[in-house]
Amino acid sequence: MIIGIGRRKKRSNTLREPLKRYSLLAPEGSMRFILGRSMFVLLAAVVTGAVSVRAHHSFSMFDTTTPVTLAGVVSSVEWTNPHVYIELDLSEPVKGARHWSIELGSPSILQRGGWKFNSVRKGDKVTAIVSPLKNGEPGSLLTRITLPDGRVLGNGGPAGVGPGTTEPPARPSAK
Amino acid sequence: MTRMTRTVGIPLLVIACLTASAHAQSTPGRNISGAWVPMGAGRGAKIDPKIAPPAATPIVLKPAYAKMFEARRTADAEATKRGDAPATPAVLCLPYGMPRMMTVASYPIEILQTPGQITIVTEAFSEVRRVHLDQPQLPIDEVPPGFYGHSVGRWDGDTLVIDTVGIKESVPGYNLMPHSDQMRITERIRLVAPDVLHDQITIDDPVALEKPFTYTLAFRRLPNYKMVEFVCENNREYIDEQGRVRMKVGGQK
Repeated sequence: MIIGIGRRKKRSNTLREPLKRYSLLAPEGSMRFILGRSMFVLLAAVVTGAVSVRAHHSFSMFDTTTPVTLAGVVSSVEWTNPHVYIELDLSEPVKGARHWSIELGSPSILQRGGWKFNSVRKGDKVTAIVSPLKNGEPGSLLTRITLPDGRVLGNGGPAGVGPGTTEPPARPSAK
Repeated sequence: MTRMTRTVGIPLLVIACLTASAHAQSTPGRNISGAWVPMGAGRGAKIDPKIAPPAATPIVLKPAYAKMFEARRTADAEATKRGDAPATPAVLCLPYGMPRMMTVASYPIEILQTPGQITIVTEAFSEVRRVHLDQPQLPIDEVPPGFYGHSVGRWDGDTLVIDTVGIKESVPGYNLMPHSDQMRITERIRLVAPDVLHDQITIDDPVALEKPFTYTLAFRRLPNYKMVEFVCENNREYIDEQGRVRMKVGGQK
């Protein structure tokens, strides 16, 4: 379904919010794509009634309305299922904590968004935009991360793109 | 067996066997091997409304199960409202089982067709179900209740019909729907377009349901996709004593 670009801004938040919350961990660039077809996606979900967007858990424990910027040095990267984790030692404390945990999508979902298992390494200086845990603990869900070489990666991509497919790779999200 | 019979008969038998095994895949419409992604979940998914899956029929549960269903939905909604992730078995990395495993978020499934068996492997949680072709189904009470039960299948024209029984009660049902161990799942899988697969799923459960209900899943083919490994080795989410989903932070293990 094709929806004109000019109409995107007019769409109400009632449609955007559920899609944002269950965003399939898509990067912002991809989100624009998903929202561009949101009417269809929503229709498909209603029609099938079964295309759940939760895999391991829902993301309602993260506050997606107030993004937080974390700058620091990566102390560990865990390229694992059900989620990838980045541990970060901050140069300046954020919300009273000098160390934050960042949850990402699964390796499968991240690969679709242009990630490799070694895109981020221990010791890298990075800046991440995250959604913090609502309970105030220093844990978060990645929105996007800027790597030492300036590349920006989001939190994965939609299905069926990236290595091994015949479709174009996911676009990296804009800064 | 005479020499003549051996000379002619054995090659004929071999040809017959090869033909039979190749038949399923060579018949137009019966080659469904490969990776598939739930429709609407992928970039570039252009779905023609003509091949969109039909709407689900209403779920009509018997009173005790309807009460259970309502309680689950309420708990789920309340958790989301207060900012918690609903506490589901998947939070603990338990696999989904049938029928939920057929669509987990935007994760692909892979269908493998071999003589006498069709195997379906999901990317999320690496779940595997085996469909035995052209075999009689076992009585439900003879199947040990599990996540995938016992599945038999047959081709009805271009439609693969799969019958599954033996799903244990604790396995989450369609959209939190409770079910009994007497549940029977009938699937009718067919290509509705060269790269679009529908799986029409009918749930029949004389203990839990007043009448069977049916919903249809749609998948898009993913050419050349390589399934990704998914071993749930590092689960930082847990359910605390209050039943709330929490995330371990700061390198807690």
